[in-house]
Amino acid sequence: MKRLIYLLREAIRGLRANRTNTLIGIITTAFTIASFGMFLLLYHNVRTITGSLQNHIQVIIYLEDAISTQEQANLKHALTQETHIETLTFVSKKQALEEFHEQFPEESYLLDGIGDNPLPASFVATVVPHDHVSDLVSAMVTRVKELSGVEHVRYSRDWVERLTLFTSYLEMGALSIGLILALASMTIISNTVRLAFYARRDEIEILRLIGATGAFIAIPYLIEGAILGAMGGGLSLLFLRGGFEIVKDKIHDLGWVGGLQATIDFFPIHMSGMLVLAGLILGCAGSALSIYGWIKVRT
Amino acid sequence: MIQLFHVTKYYEGCLALSDLTLRVDKGECILITGPSGAGKTTLLKLIFGAEFPDDGQILVQNRNIARLRSTDIPYLRRTMGFVLQDFKLLPHKTVYENVELPLIIRGLSSFDARRKVAESLQSVGMDHKRAVQTSVLSAGEQQRVCIARAIVNSPVILLADEPTGNLDPQLTYEISELFKAIHARGTTVMLATHNRQVVEQINGRMIKLDCGRLLTDQGTLA
Repeated sequence: MKRLIYLLREAIRGLRANRTNTLIGIITTAFTIASFGMFLLLYHNVRTITGSLQNHIQVIIYLEDAISTQEQANLKHALTQETHIETLTFVSKKQALEEFHEQFPEESYLLDGIGDNPLPASFVATVVPHDHVSDLVSAMVTRVKELSGVEHVRYSRDWVERLTLFTSYLEMGALSIGLILALASMTIISNTVRLAFYARRDEIEILRLIGATGAFIAIPYLIEGAILGAMGGGLSLLFLRGGFEIVKDKIHDLGWVGGLQATIDFFPIHMSGMLVLAGLILGCAGSALSIYGWIKVRT
Repeated sequence: MIQLFHVTKYYEGCLALSDLTLRVDKGECILITGPSGAGKTTLLKLIFGAEFPDDGQILVQNRNIARLRSTDIPYLRRTMGFVLQDFKLLPHKTVYENVELPLIIRGLSSFDARRKVAESLQSVGMDHKRAVQTSVLSAGEQQRVCIARAIVNSPVILLADEPTGNLDPQLTYEISELFKAIHARGTTVMLATHNRQVVEQINGRMIKLDCGRLLTDQGTLA
C-alpha cells in the first residue's frame, strides 16, 4: 500500500514539476485525439443515420391487375411467412389513386384522360431492423418476385447500398486516420515523458543504487503518461463537444435537411469513456516507448 | 562473504583492475587505499553489480555477480548499503523520506518502516532533523543521512566510496566514528579512501591499489 501511494505521488510530482511540458503534452494530445474524435463523431452520426434509414426500408409489392381474390389471399399468406417482414399493409387500387392525388395534387391531371385507374394494388412491407438488411431484403425480393400475382417489386436498394458503402469507407478512413493520429499522440507523450526522464536521471541513479527494480522505477512514468493521456482525452471531449454544438447550431440556422438536427447526436457516455480510455492507453504506451531500454539495472 | 578471483576490468581499453584476487570474510572492515585512478571505485562497483568484470569471477554472498540476471541485481543490492562522496540524496525529499525509500522499495509496512528509520536516524544523530529537506543540510549532515539510508535495511555489507571526500577534519572524524560503530555491530565494511585520517582512525585491514594492481594487503592492524 505504502509502495503504491509512493508511486502515485511520484507520478503526480513528476507532472507538477514539469508543468509547462505537461500542459503542452496534454493540449497537443487533446488536439490529436480531438482530430480523430471528429472522424469518429462523423462516423458515429452517419452510422446512426444509415441505421435509422435501413430500419425504415419499405418494400412495395405491386400486384397484377388480373389477380383473383384467392391468389391475393395466397400471396398475403406467403408474405406473412417471410421472417424479415415486420408489417404488411394492403393498398388497394382505389387507395393508391387517393394517395397519388394527396401526394401530388399538382400532377393529378395526368391521370384524368386515362380513364380506368391505372395504378396497381400493392402490399407495403416494412423490414425487421438488421445489420445486413440490404442483403436480406435483396434475397427476399428475389423470392417474392417468383410468387404468383406479383407484377413488380420495388425497394430503395441503390441508396441503401450506397449509404452502407459510404459508411464502410468512412469506417476505414476513421480507422486509418485514427491509427496515424494515435502514433502521433504516442510520440508526443513519449517525448514529454522522455524529458521528465532526462530531468530526473539523477533520481533514477539513486533508486538503482538502493535496490529499486526496473518496474519500480518505470511505474511512476507509466502512470504519468497514463494521466497525461487521459487528461488529453478528457480535454479532447470538451473540444469536440464545443465544436459539435457549434455545428449543430449552424445546421439549425441554415435549416439544412429536415430532421437532421434531431438525428445527429454526440458520443454516448460509453464512447466518451472509451475516448478517455484510448488517451490513457496511448499515454501508457508512449511512456513505455520512451523508457523502453532505459530501465537497465546494469548501466 | 566476498571473493574475487583474478578479476580484470577495462574501461574503453584502459586497464582499471588487473588480475585482482581478494577474499573478504564476514564482519571484516576493509580500507581500500591508493591514489586517484588506482581502481578503488571500480572494485566497489564490481562488488555492487554496477560493473562486470572482463575477466575473472566475483562471488558476493555465494552469488556469482557475472552470472546474475539483470533482474536479480536489485535484490543483491538490497542486502548491501552504499555510501558515496556526493551523497546522492533526493533534494526535494525530507531526511525521513530519503532514509525511508529503501524500505518502501522492499515493501516494508509503515509501522516497521517508521521504527527502522527512527533507529537509523538516531544511530547517525539526525533524528531531530527528520522533517528537514536534505537540500538545506550541511555536507556533514547530508553524509550522515546517506549513511542512515545505507544502513536502514540492516545490510550485511556496507560499501563506501570516499565518504569523507567533501568533509573537514572534524566531520571526517565523526563520520569515521560512525563507520566504526556500524562495523562494531557486525556489518562487513569496505571503505575506499585516500584520506590518511580515516585510515588511521578506523582499525581495519588495509588494501592498497595502484594502477589497478594490488600493491599490499595488510592484515588487521593491531
